[in-house]
Amino acid sequence: MRRNELTLLPKLPLLITEAADEFDALRDAFEQEIKPRGIIEHMYVHDISSIVWEILRLRRCKVGIINLALRSALQSLLKQLLRQPGQYEYEVEDEAQTLAQSWFTDQEAKKQVSEILSRFDLDESAIEAEAIRRSSSDLEVLDRMLTSLESRRNKALGCVAEYRASLAQQLRYSADRIIDAKGVLRLEDAASERSTAA
Amino acid sequence: MASERQIAASRRNARKSTGPRSGAGKKRASRNAYRHGLTLSITSSAAYAKQLDRLVREIAGSTEDPILLERARAIAQAELELARVRRVKVALIERASAFGELDPPQAFSSVTQIIRLLNAIDRGRVPSFPEPVDSSATMPSQEPDRSAEAIRRVLPELRKLDRYELRAAARRDRAVSIFLIEKSIGPTNNCEAQNEPNFSQFIE
Repeated sequence: MRRNELTLLPKLPLLITEAADEFDALRDAFEQEIKPRGIIEHMYVHDISSIVWEILRLRRCKVGIINLALRSALQSLLKQLLRQPGQYEYEVEDEAQTLAQSWFTDQEAKKQVSEILSRFDLDESAIEAEAIRRSSSDLEVLDRMLTSLESRRNKALGCVAEYRASLAQQLRYSADRIIDAKGVLRLEDAASERSTAA
Repeated sequence: MASERQIAASRRNARKSTGPRSGAGKKRASRNAYRHGLTLSITSSAAYAKQLDRLVREIAGSTEDPILLERARAIAQAELELARVRRVKVALIERASAFGELDPPQAFSSVTQIIRLLNAIDRGRVPSFPEPVDSSATMPSQEPDRSAEAIRRVLPELRKLDRYELRAAARRDRAVSIFLIEKSIGPTNNCEAQNEPNFSQFIE
């Protein structure tokens, strides 16, 4: 039954770098928790899994954007820190560029950068802060998208619960209507019928 | 205020502006409002129509009630639209990851550059053509940085697509609530259904 419903629902398209079995594992985890019944509940669970998958993708992207901005952030920071009074920025540009380039691979360069930073009571978090500042416009858009996805995920979770409650209520209502329409015998009527027969 | 002569001239000119006349012109103008095709009905593709019918049948169950079938169709349609937006999103990210950007790089960044080049040719000089820009070369070579950079480059497009996704999801949720009400109470008792504390109130 479950396989049949899954083949009917459109597959979530994944990036080449994403693993289909990881998405399946995520959806299975949600299915185990929610235990969907019927195609509509399966639809909602598929939706929730897809939204969560996209949230994870965007969160990875946020980290990636900050990491990618680290080099230029360090370079800009070093230009500011290396400049002596009366010196122009371009005069320290080459040194800053070389240091920023080798900071990722060379331990000696890393140590040198730490020393420069500590001269101004700074540490490596200043590099990260500058990277975040430089990518703030992209991070802001990502944050808005994440907020929207999180609210949709919560709504979809609520939809499953409400759908079940509403379905149960509607079924009770339908059952009552059927009973009313059929004119089912009342208990006292049934008792009087039995006494007449006796 | 325009004079009588000006008004008459405007009317004469307006009569001449009757839109494209050639077949190619009419065809091109018919696509003037086309942007991305996401608002096109999903049933316009045959492959989708088949998938849609199967989904409708699964949602509606064994019923032959045309109204219920129509409600089930609305749910299925919104669900497939949701899937389509998700596919478009992934396709854009993949394209940006492969080529570095969505639009092919322009050889000239402005009309002025082209004019300068043509002037140089006019004067009999050998112009220096701008170096072709390879946008993919500006992409990080390693994952996950490449994917992150690709997403960053298509963020404005992804943001717009988010709005379509949101609307499709809202349409589906509304369709589910109406389907549920009509399935249990029947399409003739809608007034009664509206007084019920139900799923639709949650959706709203």
